[in-house]
Amino acid sequence: MSWRTIAATVLLIAGVGIELLAVLGLCALRDVYDRLHYVGLVGYGALLVSVAIVVHSSFSLIGDKALFIGVFFVVSGPVLAHVTIRSLLTRERGDWRAQIVDAADEEAS
Amino acid sequence: MNEWEIAAAALGCALIPCIVVCLLAPAPHGLLAMEIAGVLTTTILMLLAEGFNRQPFVDLAVVLAPMSLVGSLMFARLMERAP
Repeated sequence: MSWRTIAATVLLIAGVGIELLAVLGLCALRDVYDRLHYVGLVGYGALLVSVAIVVHSSFSLIGDKALFIGVFFVVSGPVLAHVTIRSLLTRERGDWRAQIVDAADEEAS
Repeated sequence: MNEWEIAAAALGCALIPCIVVCLLAPAPHGLLAMEIAGVLTTTILMLLAEGFNRQPFVDLAVVLAPMSLVGSLMFARLMERAP
């Protein structure tokens, strides 16, 4: 067994473990804002899996695209979390800036 | 079964709780489950491409990744309106 196979297997287990942890968090936690944390986490699992594919099969057609997908999920994860929390705050309060504006008014007065 | 296919099967099982949350929980929770399920499905396609050594599967993943993001953004935007 070569070092590449061992490294790829370790990265694969870590990536799949992170993704399973995200699903476990989605099931275990009850509040929607707690569950939101796992949307950002799950992208790092995809990145580790894609790095495992690159380590295993080098920069092949599959490896290049897998790496692109992993980076894409890591970059888009925080954006998606921000848009989702903004949507949830707007749904609850009518304006997502409501709490920030109230806090600023209190500090000014 | 090699290690890639086993990982894909494990993530396939992890899709079941996401589907349950989508079906049974309130809409905001379902949106989060859908976002996670999009990443899981894309990862499964990557793993199957590597496990079966079939390049077209990873092309599907390349298409699904931006589509799941755009779909989630659209659902989030539409969810701003309270029911």
